[in-house]
Amino acid sequence: MTMAQKTIGQEFFKGLWPENPVTRQLLGLCSVLAVSNAVINGIAMGLAVTFVLVFSSFLVSLVRKIVPNQVRIASFIVIIASFVTIADRVLAAYFPQLSKAMGPYVPLIVVNCIILGRAEAFASKNKVWPSLIDALGMSGGYVLTLLLMGFIRELLGNRTILGAQILGQWFEPWVVMLLPPGAFIMLGLIIAISNFIEFKIKERRRQP
Amino acid sequence: MNLSTRMIVVLTAVGLLSGSFLAIVGQVTKERIIFNKRHEIEMAALKVVPGARSVKMIYEERDFAVFEDRDEAGHLLGYALQAAGTGFQDKIVLEIGVNAELTTVLSLTIIEQKETPGLGAKITSEEDFLRYWQNRDCTKELTLRKPPVKEPGALASNEVNAITGATISSRAVLNIVNEAIKKARQLKTEGKLSGMN
Repeated sequence: MTMAQKTIGQEFFKGLWPENPVTRQLLGLCSVLAVSNAVINGIAMGLAVTFVLVFSSFLVSLVRKIVPNQVRIASFIVIIASFVTIADRVLAAYFPQLSKAMGPYVPLIVVNCIILGRAEAFASKNKVWPSLIDALGMSGGYVLTLLLMGFIRELLGNRTILGAQILGQWFEPWVVMLLPPGAFIMLGLIIAISNFIEFKIKERRRQP
Repeated sequence: MNLSTRMIVVLTAVGLLSGSFLAIVGQVTKERIIFNKRHEIEMAALKVVPGARSVKMIYEERDFAVFEDRDEAGHLLGYALQAAGTGFQDKIVLEIGVNAELTTVLSLTIIEQKETPGLGAKITSEEDFLRYWQNRDCTKELTLRKPPVKEPGALASNEVNAITGATISSRAVLNIVNEAIKKARQLKTEGKLSGMN
């Protein structure tokens, strides 16, 4: 082993900031853009992705030595698709309102690159326990970004947070924030800011 | 075991396991999902006719359905017409409450829409749109008031307010409603709406 072993804490934390799936790896952007127009949608989507990511990472890591290399992607996709279908059905059965708000984006978790990305890059090469921690960290990073986007977009576009009015009548809502262009603008800004902070951190580390 | 046999065995096992697991999940959730859909539509059908306590679907076709609304004593109060049509972005599904004679629109509610947030999506807003739909005379075709007026009383009896900046969405709703009432009237003359008290 040439690579230094990471501690559990580092394994978890890397998904939140240094390797954040959205702002650093630029994965799963489609769903981030689509469902971040309200905080509640972000929470629901975040939980659905967390569920799928954690369980598929767990299972992929569990079967990593049984599945032949040549058919690994096919097997991973079947595993992921199964968990996505479960999430979709359960949402539709027990949280119909949320399921309606999510529209087609829950079934589309199947093709969310974060999940196949983690299965391929991490879970298929690591033991079960680190894979779970990695999945939790990555989900955490995804949820945090979604919440941040949802928070800003809902506040500026609708004057509300989680449906509760925050800004008064004096504030004219920026409707563009609820529309696709608002999502692109916000995502661009968030990625730029996180790059800037990362750049500053690295710069500081270089100077003794 | 050589490689290709192993590949076949693994893929078959993965497929079988996930398939059977999903079949179970599907069975468990199926009833609730169907129930949710029906419940949502029936709740809307109850809401659009004030005072109604029970609803029953009496007619259904593609993108159009009629519900009877009755009070506690079983008297017919009116009908809820569920109708759909094209909006600015996507299909709009709505429910209209009409009285038993099909002469007055009692109220309107939107079930499904994907109009522009902040503009066309205001068709779901009680304050900006829906309250102007209460007790409209629909013996003639309903028409759109543009620019909108603040007071519902200032509208003619068959007029409804448009939404500023979302004329297309407002007009789409108006057309769906007019079309649905026409259809209901047609059904009534054909005797397909029971209409018995």
